[in-house]
Amino acid sequence: MIQVFGLLLWLVIIPIGIGLIPVHFLSTDKRRPGIVLLAGYFGMWAVFEVVAIPAVIFVKYNNFTIASNCFTVLAILCAAAGVWLAYRDRREWKLPSPLALVREMSWAERIEWLLFFALIAFQLYKAAAYASFDGDDAYYVVESLIAQQADVMYKILPYTGRPTDLDVRHVLAVFPMWVAYVAVKSDIHATIVSHLVMPMVLIPLTYLVYYEVGKLLFGKSAEKNHRENLPVFMIVMAMFQIFGNVSIYTNETFFLTRTWQGKAVAGSLVIPALFWMFLLIYDGTKKKRADIGMWIIFVCINMTAGVCSSIAVFLACILMAVTAFCLAVTERDYKVIIKMAAVCIPNVVYMMIYVIMGYSYLLK
Amino acid sequence: MWGIFLESVVIFKNYMGFHENGYLAGIYLFVLLYLWLTEKDKRKRAVFVYAPTLLLLMFFCPLFRKIFVRLLEDSETYYRLLWLLQMSIVSAYGLIKLCGRHRRIGLVVICVAIIACGNYVYDSEHITKAENAYHLPQEAIDIVDLIEPEEGRITVLVPADLIYYVRQYSTNIELPYGREMLIARWDYHHAMYEAMEKADVIETETFAELARQYPCAYVILKVDRETDKPLTECGYALYDRVGDYLIYKDLETDDAI
Repeated sequence: MIQVFGLLLWLVIIPIGIGLIPVHFLSTDKRRPGIVLLAGYFGMWAVFEVVAIPAVIFVKYNNFTIASNCFTVLAILCAAAGVWLAYRDRREWKLPSPLALVREMSWAERIEWLLFFALIAFQLYKAAAYASFDGDDAYYVVESLIAQQADVMYKILPYTGRPTDLDVRHVLAVFPMWVAYVAVKSDIHATIVSHLVMPMVLIPLTYLVYYEVGKLLFGKSAEKNHRENLPVFMIVMAMFQIFGNVSIYTNETFFLTRTWQGKAVAGSLVIPALFWMFLLIYDGTKKKRADIGMWIIFVCINMTAGVCSSIAVFLACILMAVTAFCLAVTERDYKVIIKMAAVCIPNVVYMMIYVIMGYSYLLK
Repeated sequence: MWGIFLESVVIFKNYMGFHENGYLAGIYLFVLLYLWLTEKDKRKRAVFVYAPTLLLLMFFCPLFRKIFVRLLEDSETYYRLLWLLQMSIVSAYGLIKLCGRHRRIGLVVICVAIIACGNYVYDSEHITKAENAYHLPQEAIDIVDLIEPEEGRITVLVPADLIYYVRQYSTNIELPYGREMLIARWDYHHAMYEAMEKADVIETETFAELARQYPCAYVILKVDRETDKPLTECGYALYDRVGDYLIYKDLETDDAI
């Protein structure tokens, strides 16, 4: 029972609370439960990064407990602030009734949505009932378990258990520490959290990002025919994930075979979320308030890239730079380059820490 | 530069699974071309056409690859640049756009094309029925449950097929060497590993001497692992058997502890 409550609190309630902060700065037509949850997760990971990286670098003993305690306080404060903001402007919220949405659909649409949910259920069943072997688990999952059992972050070599120096390539990517945090708070073994709980959370969350992308691609048009493409898009996306294993390298393969690893989250959740943001930039109102919320989420997504993997930070920067350039040319809006550069500031700081740590031996 | 370009081509082909008849990339390239010709929306054109094309050009550019590899000091992860293409999102969008009003028949055709060109992820040899909530082999868990001390940590020598799992269950078990020894391209050398895994027949005397340097409180061997003389003649006692594994306890190390 305590386990279920712990999971509910840290995987549902707290992210929703945190997500209410950036959503407060979005226009009312964009305030949807899905966006709140996504913004909440990205916000929560961003807060975790800010707390965990300094603890890894500067705290010598019991660094996991110290990072956990700081994160607990900050996350609860943020969630409370989010709830307070949502309560304050509760009259502005126009939550669509799910029943009304279903009633609006044609029978064909309903069947397509059912088919899509069946595909997700199938993936979740496979993730729970089948074990996927991956050698990298000997590193990432054990790192989470070390944090849970020994209260140490990145100072013990997971392969053997011997003490080790900080390995710059891995220590800044604190996703395994977040998994350990969930494990501690829910009192569940970190390996079970990694292999069983994480897919139950990350697979639906990834499809939520695809849903938001699909909504921007197909959902806005007044044409009924156009809107009906959304469930088709979701089914096709699910099919691509299930049959995307053309090699061991594709992000689709990573998504369903190593769901719990930071790099899989980077490839399947963070990068598509950047696509979502690219489409959202020119979507809807031009009100200043609407813009701020979106840019906050954008920053949090970039910070999440760093939580997932050091390489993901570089990849996010490359994608942002290329897309900013293309958007600037096609939209004739050169300010977008400056805005996107500003969004990348956390990535630049991250890369500076990476370089300083990586080459600090030269200064000795 | 030409050599670097050719290496990028090989990485691209391996990523796309051309060598295993995976042609999802064909669908993607077709959709990209289709969107080049038909996409009118400026924003979608930038995100789904221009940016992926630029990224593809960058991927094959030798100079870009040199900088990428130099910055990250890692050439093995260059393929991840292709994650930025998000082939499934672009392909799904383009294919649905291509189907136009023929949505239902289009969905069937798209699904058939994906099944024909793709590879079912759950067919992977690495995916097996889970034996427990940990998603670890039950034998690994049973062995650790038998030998794990109530307090403190011990070092245990385990065969290669258990190396990945033991510490995923309990970090109170330390290993003389770990997964790094099993990746051939990392090219590590470890005397204990050589004695345990590389020798056709384990030379028990030398093996025991090496194991006691750590010291390994337990040695776990597969039932069919050959030794030139039984471990029980070198100060070990057969502690238990779990499935195909024999657990030997080092009596000398036990005394020392």
